[in-house]
Amino acid sequence: MIRLPSSLPVKEGKVSSMTLIYVVLIVAAVFYVLPIYTAVNTSLKDSKELMWGPVSVVHKPTLLNYVKAFGIIKRPMWNSVVITIFATIFSSFLGAVSGFGFSKLRFKGSDTIFLMIVLGFYIAPQSILIPLVRFIGKMGLYNTYGGLILTHTAYGMPITTLLFKNFFETLPTEIIESAQIDGCSNIMAFFRIALPLSLPGFAVVAIFQFTNIWNEYLFGLILTRGVNSQPLTVAIANLKGTTVASWNLQMAGVLLSVLPVLVMYVLFLKLIVKGLLMGSVKG
Amino acid sequence: MKRKRESFLFISPAVILVALFVYGFITWTFNVSLTNWKDIGIYGRFIGFRNYERLIFQDATFHTALINTLKLSVMFIGITVPLGLFLAVLLDLDIKGKRLFRLLFLLPLSFSFVASASMWTWMFSPEGGAINTILKSVGLGWLTQPWITSESQSIMCIAIAYIWQFSGFATLVYYAGITAVPPEIREAARIDGANTFQLYWKVIVPLQKPATLTVLAMLLMYTLRAFDLVWLMTGGGPGTSSEVLSTFMFRTTFNRNHFGYGAAIGIFMFLLSLAIIFPFFKKLRGGRYD
Repeated sequence: MIRLPSSLPVKEGKVSSMTLIYVVLIVAAVFYVLPIYTAVNTSLKDSKELMWGPVSVVHKPTLLNYVKAFGIIKRPMWNSVVITIFATIFSSFLGAVSGFGFSKLRFKGSDTIFLMIVLGFYIAPQSILIPLVRFIGKMGLYNTYGGLILTHTAYGMPITTLLFKNFFETLPTEIIESAQIDGCSNIMAFFRIALPLSLPGFAVVAIFQFTNIWNEYLFGLILTRGVNSQPLTVAIANLKGTTVASWNLQMAGVLLSVLPVLVMYVLFLKLIVKGLLMGSVKG
Repeated sequence: MKRKRESFLFISPAVILVALFVYGFITWTFNVSLTNWKDIGIYGRFIGFRNYERLIFQDATFHTALINTLKLSVMFIGITVPLGLFLAVLLDLDIKGKRLFRLLFLLPLSFSFVASASMWTWMFSPEGGAINTILKSVGLGWLTQPWITSESQSIMCIAIAYIWQFSGFATLVYYAGITAVPPEIREAARIDGANTFQLYWKVIVPLQKPATLTVLAMLLMYTLRAFDLVWLMTGGGPGTSSEVLSTFMFRTTFNRNHFGYGAAIGIFMFLLSLAIIFPFFKKLRGGRYD
């Protein structure tokens, strides 16, 4: 087949189509950044300057809104730190344990049990809310850190088990088997060999869980009341202003609340991408 | 036998927690849904499937919530899927600043729904909000809208917030799918004389069917359980114009204390989530991702 030389016109076309591509990418970027810009800009304005609206660039930036917002949300922020750290550790560790079981200690029917566990990730939480409130109340855990830590650990199991099982599948079974021949029990093999080897996986799961739990709202809303144990998301939702003037305070609170996860995204984007891709069903 | 006992030891924490918190609670919810339990303290009496009958045949708000959930899914998914695919293709091209663009597209995913609800409420605020302000300042003042305070626009506003938050996820899945296309296939298409546009449109995009299924399942799942954004942006209003199943369930259960009826809505939503995930049931079986 003879192909016609087509270098010149194509090249010219390429330049203009590349420009078009950049224009589209920048328009998309503006869409994603505009609300963030608006929030940052608003949060830096005092109420006088806010009269000029949220879009015009701030003249005299003030951190006063942040100071005020922090004063209101510092207790809920601490609550969220404690709840998120413990629930992340528990759900990741238990996910590693069970993921190891489902991957390396298979038995007849274990795949079906695994499937039933993973299915738990995909059901609408509205179908468990009423018993959850009753159960946590009966256990005396309403309005406590323990109640939310237990809840987040339990509902984290499907996804952490799935993620860890996938990690352990990539680990050759021979490593575990040879350890068993050397007289290692499965428990020793897990702690001495599998767990250390799964550390990169552990990071992915922990970051995935941290962001999910930090950002969760519904469980916090129904399982806590008042500032002493309510998570940050609930406190931020309660900041809701009715007058224009309080929008700057609200945006400052919002930005403070997203900061930890935002920093994680910038620092660990690769791990986060991995977690997001592995956490989704495959067609 | 010993092996089986040891593996039980490993899987038992997950099994016990999920058996109780997922399957036990769903059964519990189902039992509650068969009663007329209202208000804390007074247990309801068994009334069979009467809650379901009322829900499906008589409750106009439930019908509105169902239709609104569908509307929200169609707007959100109808834009997110093509947008995600399109942006993923652009990112796959030989462009500068690829990593920066990717980070910017993914950034909204890091925000909690609570945070984005506040930000978008502010964006859409009819008085002093960013969108109307921008429209006015560029001389398009006649285009300003009441946005979330309007019955006809409330769902659209929520859908836009969802698109903002989740299209990065769709982009990510498609991008992974596109970069996984083997170089030999690209080469073969080039040798056959395909230009860049044809390469993507005729070869690479048709190969993204599995990615599309993944995106669809995840987005459907997230719209069905959509609560935070709706609850905080519009509270289901004005009127019931943006009431969706999850807010309707929450209002019925926790604001009106109609536990029996709320449980029936919860079970209905459980069945819907099963219907969404069912086509993927087989694929999930091995628990594999590729």
